[in-house]
Amino acid sequence: MNHASYACVLDVAITAPHRIAFQVPAGSVCKLIVSSRDRKNELLSLLTGLAPPAAGSVQLLGEDLYAQDESQRIAVFRRVGVVPEDGGLISNLKMWENILLPSAYHHAHRVEDVEPRVVALFNDLYPDRRDLRSIMGKLPDQLSLRERRLTALVRAFLMEPDLVIYDFVLAGMDREAAARIVAATSEFQAQHRDRTSIYLCTDEGAYARVQADQTIELEH
Amino acid sequence: MSQVTLLPERIGRIFVDALRDWSATAALVRYALAHIVALRHPVVARVLYRQIYFTGIEALRAISLIALLTGIVIIVETVSLVGHQPAILGQIMLWVVVRELGPLLTGIVIIARSSSAAAAELATMKIRGEMNSLRVMGIDPMDILIVPRIVGMTLSVVAVTFYFQLTAILGGFAATSIWYGVPLRQGLQGVIDLMTVTEILASLTKALAFGIMIAATSCSFGLRAKGTVTAVPQAATGAVMRGIITLFLLDGVITYLFFV
Repeated sequence: MNHASYACVLDVAITAPHRIAFQVPAGSVCKLIVSSRDRKNELLSLLTGLAPPAAGSVQLLGEDLYAQDESQRIAVFRRVGVVPEDGGLISNLKMWENILLPSAYHHAHRVEDVEPRVVALFNDLYPDRRDLRSIMGKLPDQLSLRERRLTALVRAFLMEPDLVIYDFVLAGMDREAAARIVAATSEFQAQHRDRTSIYLCTDEGAYARVQADQTIELEH
Repeated sequence: MSQVTLLPERIGRIFVDALRDWSATAALVRYALAHIVALRHPVVARVLYRQIYFTGIEALRAISLIALLTGIVIIVETVSLVGHQPAILGQIMLWVVVRELGPLLTGIVIIARSSSAAAAELATMKIRGEMNSLRVMGIDPMDILIVPRIVGMTLSVVAVTFYFQLTAILGGFAATSIWYGVPLRQGLQGVIDLMTVTEILASLTKALAFGIMIAATSCSFGLRAKGTVTAVPQAATGAVMRGIITLFLLDGVITYLFFV
């Protein structure tokens, strides 16, 4: 099988009777519907190279994650943006330091390089928060869930990844906030023809707004 | 019977645990040396500067006070014992402050302030999954968290040790100058006359070895944390206790190698 045209190919056995297999073509939008948060966490760990499966393989952007050593596996994630449900922020870094961390590390971006884009993104995603400057200096523990998740979203966007994995990105958001996030992620996807977006989600109504090329329901 | 057989087992376990800790510490030092080029990255360099600030600059107030009091106590006790004899005072200051107390007390202060803090911080990050967050951002947590901490703390310990020695000697002789009317320059000259390359080398070796050991021990205990939030104080306490024991062991070994 030629996997070159796929952004994500997963074929794994987690525990004895449970096997998951799916493929997500490059340049597409995919909704992965899971039955519970526990299953989602299991799947996310597999996709992010943090939990090797009992058998099988996980390929992201043509790289077999678990056939590589730790440093090679980490290198794959320079091209992958992950937006964790809880933000996945570093607790001893302020909000703006969290936003800048991966893009400064991989692309040597400075604050002045990304500031206009960050402001524009937050204006779109969080228009009811006018005093952006005041929250930028806060540590993650001082931020609301919405603020943490938007920080992770903007952080991922600045990396211009080829593949974006949205982990329950709409969970706990009100209708208006969810609509803004879907609009922003759809626009981000449309910016590059080869970019792939994977939404890990439940079958909640909020995700109906996501225009997906493929919907995969995982029932394990 | 069981208590008799348990005692050697307990002692053996203490040694096995210590060997395991030292082996993990040595592995981290090897890693830091092999990946020292990571410091050329501006983001990693910023972590290094921050570590030097927390471990070195912020410790100066406590170190100044301890060094000053140490210098004064040693000189006053010596003068009260042997009277004012510049050669003996110089010799005592050199042996006690430069050889022993400078590196040792600096090490203890850094362990109390920074080693416990670094271990707790890393343990918290590990438990909250932040190491994995760094991995999925394509950043090796060892390069950005461990290398700058080991290098930063080591450089800080060396610099702060030198500062301690200088403050203690100056403070001690300033006190004799004020209380006994002995010229400050005369006292300092006594130390300078007796200073040898071996003294400087031994002091530098101790500071460097203590710095590397303190930094790597705190990182090792922080990285070892697993599971729940109770692992955080355990990591901090473990780093402090193992650090202090190893500090005295290293001090003995280096003193033996240089002066016996």
